Amino acid sequence: MRPLGIRATTLVVLVYLGAALAVLQGFVGTGLPVQFGASVVSHVTGMAAGYGAAIMLILMSRSPWLERDLGAHRLARWHAWGGPLVIVLTVAHAFAAVAAWAAATSIDLVGASKDVLDLPGLVTASVGTVILVLIGFSSLRTVRRRISYERWHFLHLLTYLAVGLGFAHQLAGPDLAGRRWLQIAWALLYTYAFALVVRWRVLQPLFQLWRHRLRVEQVRQEAPDVFSVVMSGRHLDELRAEPGQFFRWRFLTRETWRSAYPFSLSAPPTRHVLRITVKARGDGTRRLFKIPRGTLVFAEGPYGALTGRRRRRPRVLLIAGGVGITPMRTLFEEIDLPGKDVTLVYRASQEQDLVLKHELDEIAERSGARVVYLVGPTSDARNDMSAHALNRIVGDLSDHDVYLCGSPRLASRVRGSLMDSGFPRHQLHEERFSF
Amino acid sequence: MSDAALDFGRRIPRIARLSVAVSPSLIRWTLRLVTLLLFGAATAVGVNAGMGAPEISPTSVVNHDRAAPPDL
Repeated sequence: MRPLGIRATTLVVLVYLGAALAVLQGFVGTGLPVQFGASVVSHVTGMAAGYGAAIMLILMSRSPWLERDLGAHRLARWHAWGGPLVIVLTVAHAFAAVAAWAAATSIDLVGASKDVLDLPGLVTASVGTVILVLIGFSSLRTVRRRISYERWHFLHLLTYLAVGLGFAHQLAGPDLAGRRWLQIAWALLYTYAFALVVRWRVLQPLFQLWRHRLRVEQVRQEAPDVFSVVMSGRHLDELRAEPGQFFRWRFLTRETWRSAYPFSLSAPPTRHVLRITVKARGDGTRRLFKIPRGTLVFAEGPYGALTGRRRRRPRVLLIAGGVGITPMRTLFEEIDLPGKDVTLVYRASQEQDLVLKHELDEIAERSGARVVYLVGPTSDARNDMSAHALNRIVGDLSDHDVYLCGSPRLASRVRGSLMDSGFPRHQLHEERFSF
Repeated sequence: MSDAALDFGRRIPRIARLSVAVSPSLIRWTLRLVTLLLFGAATAVGVNAGMGAPEISPTSVVNHDRAAPPDL
């Protein structure tokens, strides 16, 4: 992963500084000198959870400067550990607050819970907490596997409601109440976070729908479970989409409009045409097979920094697994490299899973780039994707930028082997998608 | 999605025919203006919410009817 730039580093420092101030205010709010107990835990976790929820909203607002400076992959990773942390802090805050109330008023926990729920803003905040817990539960790996992407996505959208429900309680909390400037700053943190979400997750796609009038032109089968969706529109060059990037696509039919699917462009974008290639994994993606021609498309993006701009070395190795070929196929054709010293290693378990093979062969022949297919069982020594094997394929591996996109298992295996071999981390570029 | 919404969706291209003719620079400036207005509104709402927030916390144990004395 590339190192953070100055702007991104400044942002990260500010986020941590804000977190430290929020926690400090939690301690100050309990009164000095601080006496450790349920009350302190309640104050500190409450402030940290409130601050963390706003930061999570900002990180996932799809603001272009965040996506560009930090990268969608890094943002998703931070969200993956920050989201659960906020939920744990919120739940800890709720339990500690009830315990502190019970201790201060000398009543039992049940009575204290009733008392607390009678306080202004606490019922809505509790409903918000329950929603957050449900979202966290639905994201647990074992549960996530059992529910469809569409349902999980819908549940995730409820986060905005959950966060909104807790807002009044936060402003009236003992750590902020009576400190007017702090209350204003806290309220601004939340209104700006929501403004970012509205600007980039609602207005921008609506504007793009209006300006580009993106519609499905053709749905074409590429392999048994794989199909391409060709979309046409106007002024698509204004999107400034680059090979290797992805959009979140929402197809406006009665059956599919609820879900936004992240799919990479599988052909270099032109002024009038965009193309994606999709592997059907569940009922939701299977429904996309049947999208009628002319369907309007609500597209959020472009996102992702897996582009030619990342390249620093004179040679490039692209590694793709399965349908992870889509961003690699566009990079394979478009990456701007003198001498076209590009090698694509494409892994699939069987010949028929090699998606867009005829296009890859054609690009290789036309440009002089090289494509290597590794087909068959992983146990076959010829399909070895260790750093050692990759070095054998391309020559001096350390002189390459490596772009990687495949299933989580394949990506983890290749990444692990590269890192173990001492391959520089900043020369490895990857985008991770998983439903 | 309701039939009315879908019907509206189908009519969007007609409503939006204007979008084709507008120049990219006008679009860019319009979006900047929209962003400015949105954040202006967010500032107004945020300041207003902060100013209107309670001075005494209703959830503080020392401010509650049934609360123990403030020296707790």
